[in-house]
Amino acid sequence: MADKKIDVLIIGAGPAGVAAGIGAKREGAENVVVIERDWDLGGILQQCIDPGFGLRTFREELSGPEYMHRFIKQAHEAGVEFRPNTMVFQIDKDTNAVWTMNKERGIECLNPSAIVLAMGCRERPIGAIRIPGTRPAGIYTAGTAQRFISMEGYMPGKRAVILGSGDIGLGVARRMILEGAEVEGVYEVMTWPGGLRKNISYCLNDYGIPLHLQTTVTKIHGTDRLEGVTVAKVDDHMTPIKGTERFVQCDTLLLAIGLVPENELSRMAGIEIHKVTNGPVVNDLFQTSNPAVFAAGNVVIVYDLVDNVTDQGLITGSNAAKYALGKIPSNVKKIPVKAGDNVRLFTPQYITGESDTIIYMRVTHPIEGACKITAEPGLFSRRLKYSRPGEMDEVRIKAEQVRALGDNLKEIVIDIKPL
Amino acid sequence: MIEDRKFICASCTIGCELRVTLNSGEIVRVAGNACPRGETYARSEIKDPRRLFASTVRVTGGRLPVCPIRTKTPAPKEKIFDIAKEVAKLKIKAPVKIGQVLIHNVCGTDVDIVASRDLASA
Repeated sequence: MADKKIDVLIIGAGPAGVAAGIGAKREGAENVVVIERDWDLGGILQQCIDPGFGLRTFREELSGPEYMHRFIKQAHEAGVEFRPNTMVFQIDKDTNAVWTMNKERGIECLNPSAIVLAMGCRERPIGAIRIPGTRPAGIYTAGTAQRFISMEGYMPGKRAVILGSGDIGLGVARRMILEGAEVEGVYEVMTWPGGLRKNISYCLNDYGIPLHLQTTVTKIHGTDRLEGVTVAKVDDHMTPIKGTERFVQCDTLLLAIGLVPENELSRMAGIEIHKVTNGPVVNDLFQTSNPAVFAAGNVVIVYDLVDNVTDQGLITGSNAAKYALGKIPSNVKKIPVKAGDNVRLFTPQYITGESDTIIYMRVTHPIEGACKITAEPGLFSRRLKYSRPGEMDEVRIKAEQVRALGDNLKEIVIDIKPL
Repeated sequence: MIEDRKFICASCTIGCELRVTLNSGEIVRVAGNACPRGETYARSEIKDPRRLFASTVRVTGGRLPVCPIRTKTPAPKEKIFDIAKEVAKLKIKAPVKIGQVLIHNVCGTDVDIVASRDLASA
């Protein structure tokens, strides 16, 4: 092949991959290529048509396609090369060779200096929660329904029950109503809603859609098409309570039961995956257990906001470019970050002290009232008005703080404690 | 006549539960807000509640059969379903440019409907 050597190869042209492309070009990488399996760029934001994205970055509420339009334009202007309709089907563990497939180009083996994983995340399907009953037509993940409606012009059904109250569940409830369907209710197994209160107001309360907490779907009915579901209250151990069952007639069940980082390729490449985040273990440079492989955005941890994904993507792209240009030492420090009180998950898992960093984390359960978020030994402390699992909290650590502690810094412990 | 209204403040992510007391339609008291923005939000939500609206319209000859649209600015909340019906009647031809105005002054609201993505011809 007469192709130029690729400095940074990015897998996925969603918000993380596009930002990584821009970041890599800004850092001075010459040949930056983004591989995308879809025919169009933008990833999942293509189907997120409700305005509400980019408030932090642009101070205005953009729809998903509008948000991506701005960054794709920047990436084109920066000279990022995009290869749509191209699938990465293998990454070789020992050589970091990336195998791609495309109708025109055929099968290619690429040998980039650095790789950025930006495959995003995937919805948990019905198999993940094992609901008893039949498996008729009419059961979709919320994201599939969103794609049917907003990109393909189909309605998934006429009367829906929604399981899961994260922002995707709330958003799809509103979308169904606005497109002329009925929504019987949103059911949430936890004692607290997963999505933002603002979205409960705008997506549910505006249309009189009830939200049933501590309630779940316990049975699916119907042979060819879904005919209804049984819902029941659950106890504190999430076990359905006998006698609280109720039959709900519906032809559509939409599942908004969580997102999981998509890491089949990462596993194939032998990259260490974290048990709790389901994403690669990374340091604050977003470098994985393989130093030539970086990871950006929701493939690492599922963020709340696309603004976070873009920010992290820019940094990751720039670090991947530095690596490709030989500007990242091979002996960077590896100070472990540990979860202390009330912290369920966080990223990154290691701090190098090479750059300022933000540790993103989620609490195990809502703390309604003043609390304190800290990183010991004495690296960060901040008072919060509240902390909720649906809204990530941040710890900011400066490189100079890490350097000042030198070899005395063995580990960093992060806690969120009520005051 | 005294009336109480309860709703969630959408000024930020905290989501305070606002309680607004009205006397013959006039706001006499706002409670439940953690900051002054809550009061501003309560007043606008009582006097002139507005929402951004998004949907899709049918496209002929495009790479996709539908194109996403939105209100350029927030529209009066009580007009949202009228706008949805108006938008549903619309059929456009590819190519579509992002930001292209598809309906001026939809339902007399002084709000425009614009395309929210580029859509190339098939």
